[in-house]
Amino acid sequence: MADVISVPVTAESDVREPTSDVGEMSQGKLIWLRFRRNRLAMGGLVTLILLYLAVGFAGFLAPNNYLQQNLEYIHGRPSPITFIGPECRFRLRPYTFGVTTELDQAAFKWVYVVDESVKLPIRFFVRGDTYSLFGFRTDLHLFGVDAPHRLYLWGADSLGRDVFARTLMGGQVSMTVGLVGVALTIFLGSVLGTMSGYFGGVIDDMMQRVVEIIQSFPTIPLWAALAAALPNISETFTMLHRYLLITVILSLVNWTGLARQLRAKVMSYRQADFTSAALVAGASNARIIFIHMLPNAASHIIVVSALSVPGMILGETALSFLGLGILPPMVSWGTLLRDTQQVATVVQHPWLIIPGAGVIIAVLAFSVLGDGLRDAVDPYSI
Amino acid sequence: MESRETTTTTERSETDTILRIKNLHTYFFTVVGVAKALNGVNLDVPAGKVLGIVGESGCGKSVTALSAMRLVVEPGRIVEGTITLNQIRKQGNGYKVMDEVDITSLDPRGPKIRSLRGSEIAMIFQEPMTSLNPSYTVGNQIMEAVQLHQKVSKVEARDRAIDILRRVELPNAEAVVDRYPHQLSGGMRQRAMIAMALSCTPSLLIADEPTTALDVTTEAEILDLMRELQADMGMTIVFITHNLGVVAQMCDEVAVMYLGRVVEQAPVDDIFYNPMHPYTRALLQSIPRVRVREKKRLEPIRGVVPDPYSNISGCPFHDRCSDFMPGVCEVNVPAMVTVPGDPQHAVRCFLHSDATEGENGR
Amino acid sequence: MLNYIIRRVGYAFVTLIFVAIIGFIIIELPPGSYLDFRLRELRTMGGDYSTDMIAALEQRYGVNDPVHVKFWKWFSNFVQGDFGWSFRYERSVSSLLGARIGFTLLVSISSLIFSWVVAILVGVYSATHRYTIPDYLITVFQFIGLAVPGFLLALVLMIFAQRTLGMEVGGLFSARYRDAPWSWPKFIDLLKHLWIPVVVIAASGTAWLSRVMRGNLLDVLNMQYVQTARSKGLKEEKVIWKHAVRNALHPLVMVFGMSFPAIISGQTVIAIVLNLPTIGPIFVNALLQQDMYLAVTFLMFQAMLLVVGNLVADIALAWLDPRIQFE
Ligand SMILES: Nc1ncnc2c1ncn2[C@@H]1O[C@H](COP(=O)(O)OP(=O)(O)OP(=O)(O)O)[C@@H](O)[C@H]1O
Ligand SMILES: [Mg+2]
Repeated sequence: MADVISVPVTAESDVREPTSDVGEMSQGKLIWLRFRRNRLAMGGLVTLILLYLAVGFAGFLAPNNYLQQNLEYIHGRPSPITFIGPECRFRLRPYTFGVTTELDQAAFKWVYVVDESVKLPIRFFVRGDTYSLFGFRTDLHLFGVDAPHRLYLWGADSLGRDVFARTLMGGQVSMTVGLVGVALTIFLGSVLGTMSGYFGGVIDDMMQRVVEIIQSFPTIPLWAALAAALPNISETFTMLHRYLLITVILSLVNWTGLARQLRAKVMSYRQADFTSAALVAGASNARIIFIHMLPNAASHIIVVSALSVPGMILGETALSFLGLGILPPMVSWGTLLRDTQQVATVVQHPWLIIPGAGVIIAVLAFSVLGDGLRDAVDPYSI
Repeated sequence: MESRETTTTTERSETDTILRIKNLHTYFFTVVGVAKALNGVNLDVPAGKVLGIVGESGCGKSVTALSAMRLVVEPGRIVEGTITLNQIRKQGNGYKVMDEVDITSLDPRGPKIRSLRGSEIAMIFQEPMTSLNPSYTVGNQIMEAVQLHQKVSKVEARDRAIDILRRVELPNAEAVVDRYPHQLSGGMRQRAMIAMALSCTPSLLIADEPTTALDVTTEAEILDLMRELQADMGMTIVFITHNLGVVAQMCDEVAVMYLGRVVEQAPVDDIFYNPMHPYTRALLQSIPRVRVREKKRLEPIRGVVPDPYSNISGCPFHDRCSDFMPGVCEVNVPAMVTVPGDPQHAVRCFLHSDATEGENGR
Repeated sequence: MLNYIIRRVGYAFVTLIFVAIIGFIIIELPPGSYLDFRLRELRTMGGDYSTDMIAALEQRYGVNDPVHVKFWKWFSNFVQGDFGWSFRYERSVSSLLGARIGFTLLVSISSLIFSWVVAILVGVYSATHRYTIPDYLITVFQFIGLAVPGFLLALVLMIFAQRTLGMEVGGLFSARYRDAPWSWPKFIDLLKHLWIPVVVIAASGTAWLSRVMRGNLLDVLNMQYVQTARSKGLKEEKVIWKHAVRNALHPLVMVFGMSFPAIISGQTVIAIVLNLPTIGPIFVNALLQQDMYLAVTFLMFQAMLLVVGNLVADIALAWLDPRIQFE
């Protein structure tokens, strides 16, 4: 038995990473490389960039101001678009038709009849309703038709307002609620989660109880109750205040998830060598947390955050849909969808449901982006 | 150690072989490429003996075992070769072949291979800690195997389970039968695992590094137990290990694997005292021997095992070989040939024969 | 085991007390609640009757008491089943609750069962058929299920049921059974109406759970004991369902605590679109009109459902996983 020694095991080659200079790459670059290879996630990223551009330039992109009412086009359907010009020849310029209002004798309702004889060319860079873009007032629109006609790409709502313009404007609120909320979530989640994991003991126990209690509320009812407790809009409490407080309410529940995960991460770091080394070197707790631990957990924080944006967008949509979130005249996708509470309305005016597509696309894009980030950061977890 | 002498004297005949693997190729079709885990394995498992399989990590020992059980899972597949199982019964001094099954032709989920698994070929896996299902008691898991292959009632199956647990020298078998795996120590779990494998008295037991995870004392106990059971039950064991010391202690014959191929197979004494393949020699030089007086340096094998995704021309060992013959070794793949005058010693090297494998660089 | 259950029940009680405190804070937060409104109304009316009313109301709700007394008044009444008065409906909160809690439970628990059964079946299927076309399709549905707001899905399904299946939609009963006494046809009618809310409410939860199940099962299928089970000669179905699924369920039971809130949340919003006789619509109306006693009672009941659900999950997990220790 004296000669029992096992064969030295030679280095195993890492088969999953065929790139040769993997060892020298920075962590961030490696993550980006892996991320870029994921087509779906890249698609999500590009979609999001386009969406943010679209809602950012909402006033310019939409031919009408989102608040502009038109009592002569209540629940009007989307303007038809054609490439057949007035001479019945194919043209590169798109055209729409004039619309006349007639009284339906049987139903005693006003109906809008497309007048195919009147062809209106759609022009680019036209003057129209005024709006403000990043603080500047202007009336230049990317496209539109000559006044007094109006172009309604996605139809009009119950007050004759342009659904296209309203959807883009609504996106400004819906797509930023998530971001502002996530900033707060990151702040609360990382501070509380890190403290809980780092100090352990009583602090950890208390934090765990708090997390447990918050998580034992159903999210939407709790959000709704808190939102209902907000003051009414007044001189001192503006719509902007309400918007900000709604994001606070959304992140009030959301931080618990991040805190739990970070706590586990930090607990494992506590046992790691670099922590003991730093402690021996006389580093303070704050220094260890902020210089050593948080940067290590950064990729993790980013992934969890990206994955929590969809929940916030859906949360805001639900709250506003219930009339407890964003209030008119401010618009969000949720407030727009409030018009669809009656099935009959949707059946008659299906274009009112278009803002819902915005929600779905944004949520999907954030989900695949988050999934892709997670795979890139931690390729061996499922 | 008596059995060693017997192997050197008896000639091997067809009927002595319980499992015959010929030119076996098992590939894994992964996203990053095709991993050629087995690249033409030739192996004869002599009946009633203990055959050791040694080789560096990743050379395909476990995949060979799994292929024989048809337990290779997606994305792996047997792409070529045959595995023949001879169902043999002892008859006087020799063996009689009752039935011959071509395992490679079976549907891996079909009834035929399932009726062989457990009852004819059983397997003990590499990681004893995770080989038992944590959600069921040891007894439940043994009874499941017994009831599957034998027409017995639940009570009888339970008695059988307790019996076999006693047989593997587990103290207090009546209690252990109702324990969950997490309530047992590593050594006890491995005994339970052996009990499960033996519960249907298989004629062939494949043990994949059954003691790697155990401490030295427990390892010795388990090895003794296996040797004893093998002698008692007249069972054949394929014993996979890293450890040449264990090979010396346990095995009658040894097969040395390198990068998906068996490069040398011989009775255990021949491997230790008359190794013919340069890789076998290198392996032996890399272990310290106490009794050797002269101050000889341990020689780690030069270079690293190439990964199974790469395509190497010629003999897969040529770039690490100390006897590399330019113009020969990197051009063709040597065939597995028996050494003249010693029918039980086979080697795959151009130093000993010019025979090349059928197709180049497979 | 008994000790363990007692300890979990103890935890649940502590949680419930904190839940009550948060509920009370929510009652106290809004400046213009219905109670204030009513008191102001009575004051401007004047007269003996009003003065008596004001005194009674102030006494009952402890309007002028310090906060802790006020809390105690509310809490002790709550525990005794006196949840206060809905100023909006002019009825006691308990009578409103009683009329609707049954249907709420019916819809929620049906959705819960539906989502678990479907999630497990779908999860097992997609894990065992990885990288096949059905698996990709399932993945697409899972993403959609997670991304589509519940009320939109409800709308679409309602339109589909109305247009294509020619069904009467909305509510849990057809008009002629709504106020009828219980009978077999009424029960059948209920089942006919129940599927839309159940499918819609369960959708996002099912999508999420089945993803978790797929991931868990893929992990478990890589475990050595699955190969051990196969090496005994077991049928693949038995290997999957007895050896793999059982172990993949443990983490799933642990996330039970998260799937139930999702269902209660979904129920609240979707009930409005589907016009269900559950507590969701009343809850939202109460919030919109600052009828806080009604609203908070409903919130508390929903939280209680969750706490009880988590308790059940903990006990189920202990029963399912022999590795859990009950010191
Ligand atoms: N599921 C799989 N997917 C891809 N490749 C695999 C898989 N299983 C095995 N392989 C490949 O097959 C080769 C042989 O693996 P095997 O497990 O048989 O090695 P081994 O000799 O048993 O090593 P060890 O001594 O470490 O157990 C490995 O190099 C590995 O790359
Ligand atoms: Mg192995």
